[in-house]
Amino acid sequence: MATKKGKHPKPPETEKGKFPKSLMLELNKAGLDTQSLIYCCTGDMDNEACYCSSWLSFDDKGLYIALGEEEEIKTKRKSKREKLETKYTVNHIQSIPLDDIDALETERYVSTGRLIIKKDGEQSGLLRFSIGRIAQFENFVRAFNSYKEKGKAEILSSAETEEKKCRKCGKSCPPDKDFCPKCNKKSSTALRLFKFFGGYIPQIVLIIAIMLLGTAVTVFVPQISTRSLFDDVLANPDGLPAAELIKALGVLMLSIFGVRLLSTVLTVIQQYITAAIMPKVVYDIKLKIFNAMQRLSVNFYSSKQTGSLMERVVRDANNIYWFFIDGVPALIIDTATIIGVVVIMFAMSWKLSLVTIGAMPLIFVCLFFGDRVFRRLHHRSWLYGARVSAMVSDNINGQRVIKAFSKEDDEYERFSKVSGEHTKADLKLSLTEATAFPILEIFVMGLSTVVLGIGGVMVAKGEMTTGTLLSYIVYLEMLRGPFDFLSWISNWWARCADSAQRVFEICDAKPDITEKENAVSFENLRGDIEINELEFEYEPARPVIKKLSLNVKAGYMLGIVGKTGAGKTTIANLIARLYDAKEGSVKIDGIDVKDLKLTELRRNIGLVSQDIYLFIGSIADNIRYAKPDATMDEVIAAAKAASAHDFIMKLPDAYETRVGAGGQKLSGGERQRISIARTIIQNPKILILDEATAAMDTETERNIQNSLTQLKEGRTTIAIAHRLSTLRDADYLAVIEDGKIIEYGTFSELIKQKGEFYKQYKIQSEALKTIGIGAEIPTDNKEDEQ
Amino acid sequence: MNSNITANTISPETLKAEYVTPENCVFSKNKNSFLAATVSGKDYARVILTRALPLAMPDSYICISDIDKNEIGIIEHISAFSEEQQLLINDELSQRYYCPVITKIESIKEKMGHFYFDVMIGDFKKSFAVKDISKSIRQHGDAIDLIDVDGNRFRIVDFDAIPSKSRRKLEPYLY
Repeated sequence: MATKKGKHPKPPETEKGKFPKSLMLELNKAGLDTQSLIYCCTGDMDNEACYCSSWLSFDDKGLYIALGEEEEIKTKRKSKREKLETKYTVNHIQSIPLDDIDALETERYVSTGRLIIKKDGEQSGLLRFSIGRIAQFENFVRAFNSYKEKGKAEILSSAETEEKKCRKCGKSCPPDKDFCPKCNKKSSTALRLFKFFGGYIPQIVLIIAIMLLGTAVTVFVPQISTRSLFDDVLANPDGLPAAELIKALGVLMLSIFGVRLLSTVLTVIQQYITAAIMPKVVYDIKLKIFNAMQRLSVNFYSSKQTGSLMERVVRDANNIYWFFIDGVPALIIDTATIIGVVVIMFAMSWKLSLVTIGAMPLIFVCLFFGDRVFRRLHHRSWLYGARVSAMVSDNINGQRVIKAFSKEDDEYERFSKVSGEHTKADLKLSLTEATAFPILEIFVMGLSTVVLGIGGVMVAKGEMTTGTLLSYIVYLEMLRGPFDFLSWISNWWARCADSAQRVFEICDAKPDITEKENAVSFENLRGDIEINELEFEYEPARPVIKKLSLNVKAGYMLGIVGKTGAGKTTIANLIARLYDAKEGSVKIDGIDVKDLKLTELRRNIGLVSQDIYLFIGSIADNIRYAKPDATMDEVIAAAKAASAHDFIMKLPDAYETRVGAGGQKLSGGERQRISIARTIIQNPKILILDEATAAMDTETERNIQNSLTQLKEGRTTIAIAHRLSTLRDADYLAVIEDGKIIEYGTFSELIKQKGEFYKQYKIQSEALKTIGIGAEIPTDNKEDEQ
Repeated sequence: MNSNITANTISPETLKAEYVTPENCVFSKNKNSFLAATVSGKDYARVILTRALPLAMPDSYICISDIDKNEIGIIEHISAFSEEQQLLINDELSQRYYCPVITKIESIKEKMGHFYFDVMIGDFKKSFAVKDISKSIRQHGDAIDLIDVDGNRFRIVDFDAIPSKSRRKLEPYLY
């Protein structure tokens, strides 16, 4: 947060899992004994889903629900700094004895959630809350249920009792921030933006000096070109001799040319220096965003669209670029011009200047309202434009499906409709511009005419010369451009600040997965994996893994099977620490993965998944991705071990074949074999095969199985698969259902158990038999078979 | 290869869903005010109703599930049921699909890519922030849904029915 320390009022500190002290006091007054409360949670609705403040708590006797109101009040302290205080009013307290509740649970609806009491297998509804608060209620339920079960409330380290509020205005703000973006002042964004220019201060000082000099020269031009021409040369009542007239005109023309030339040279120098700095600044910004993005966890990428992230690197950085390269110089020049011109105008005629200044507020009002109208119209046009772009992108990505369903004409119609709406929005914008600008023009012209009329009278009275009046009119015209610019620079700055905010959002985002300060390294990794009471959820109140425990000894292979969505891949992601568990632990050689150095952990875990990603580059580059210094001998050996060498050698450019976007098209099996070779060269101690052959046909799968067998040698392997036949080599198998292990044992043990595994295996074997490759269902154990 | 499986096997007739009708289903309230049902003679102490088309056809294609979320059947249209039964169905649906209804928009202020809404939900003044406005406003017919940064949803039931000042404030962001 870039806001100055101590600038905003600090909210009162609240103990984790407890209400603020002032609320405790109010609850006490209303008759609730707050001394022994174990855990507390704040809601925002009553049982009928009507908005109000609700406060939920429990102690060793009961569960308490208080309803009331709260109001944020800003008060000034003696130090004259504002303090944010919340005024609580408690209207009603309901108590439910602990014995009347077996457990609590939450139910998730579309926009709300409900707290449910369970007693003797029956459910009853207790309190509703906005869906945004479900995480807090889940934590409350967890604390309550654990207290009922074990006599000790489990309070998560990450648990928040209350909705996070902005420290300045008290409104909701993102969980990782102290201020809402509204109170995150633009000035701080500006300050942070200017820090990018820190290394170029001498150049910036020079640019500003040149700009001010250039402006002074420009402002001086009408003095020579108009006033001197009329007053000193043309308006001489006796007339100058021809030779002197020509000489005077020559001097005047040279002076005008010289001043213009000087102004142009200064502009060229200023633009040259600006252009030399700005690409470097934008390079720094892009590099900073890209670097920040590399640090962020997988979760960040899951919640953002690729297009939006690319926009931040490219478009937002360019928005900043154009504001600083065009906007800031123009702002300095135009401000200096306005000041210079107004001073000169007053020096020429203060009476006329007063008339002009008097009309200015009217022009400003017109510009202000015009700006609001145009902002709306621009925004609408932008929204339709974005919709057209989205549709084009959708259409390009879905071309195969469109053609397969012969929907080209329908797609054309759809596009035509959306594009038509965009055209209408653009048309409205253009028509409004075409109407509004001439009206403004007429108004300004009217002002010039009035000034000309009053000035004419002043010239007739001898209070002003003709040259002065004409140059005054020229100065008046000179003000139009800068005023027009200043009317929409705020809009431009808003766009730049908006981009900057998005850039800083990435730079400031805290990775979910962070390495501890005193993280440890492996001395000699064996590969024992121990999972204890693991719990995980991607969204609050939607658990994916539920208190799951299992062990894999070093060098052994564990097969994980289960239906789609059972949580198999999540287990793999938690072992590789792509996500952090909510509760429980994953230990490797007895060390919690959270205590390990991330690079060390990831270097020792090889992941072969169904989604194969090959980077743009040669096949050799892709194979040596994990070990860039691998020799060609190692690359070929890895490719051979992955059964990839033969097909690579058949390609015209062999190992130098370009793959990735725009490169050589490879089949799914070929791509998978390259990815296996990539993992072989990484030489990990722990190998995770996540549906590695799920997308392959049976023949390719058999070929790849040979590669995988090579890869598994001497490593701890966790293989996740749908096709149970591919797990026959597994030492142990775990059947996962709904985030829990429902069966565990060797292949033959599970067959003997005749449970879920047996059922699935039987179905699959019979299906394979119909195409002539089915295996008999074993009746004896695996060891006997071998 | 099973030669019996042909393109003709999957016909619109075979795709027809099994519907729950007033003839085979009776709804009631259990003692804790949750919806219960008896479907084809089987009693369910609590059933959950979910709409297949919550926006376009809120009264049609309503799925009935048991408490473990196993589907029991589908109601094609609730109008097939008696008024008393419809009341029970609608009561359950209105709880599940409840969405605070915006009656007036006081202000929309844009700051740094976030849009700050001050709205009236009946007599209650509510403030919320919306990010990525083009994706957080969903129009369906005359209704508009706004989804705030915390995932809370707010609804304008009929855009033309809210005050014209409120309409003008939101209109630039609709398309």
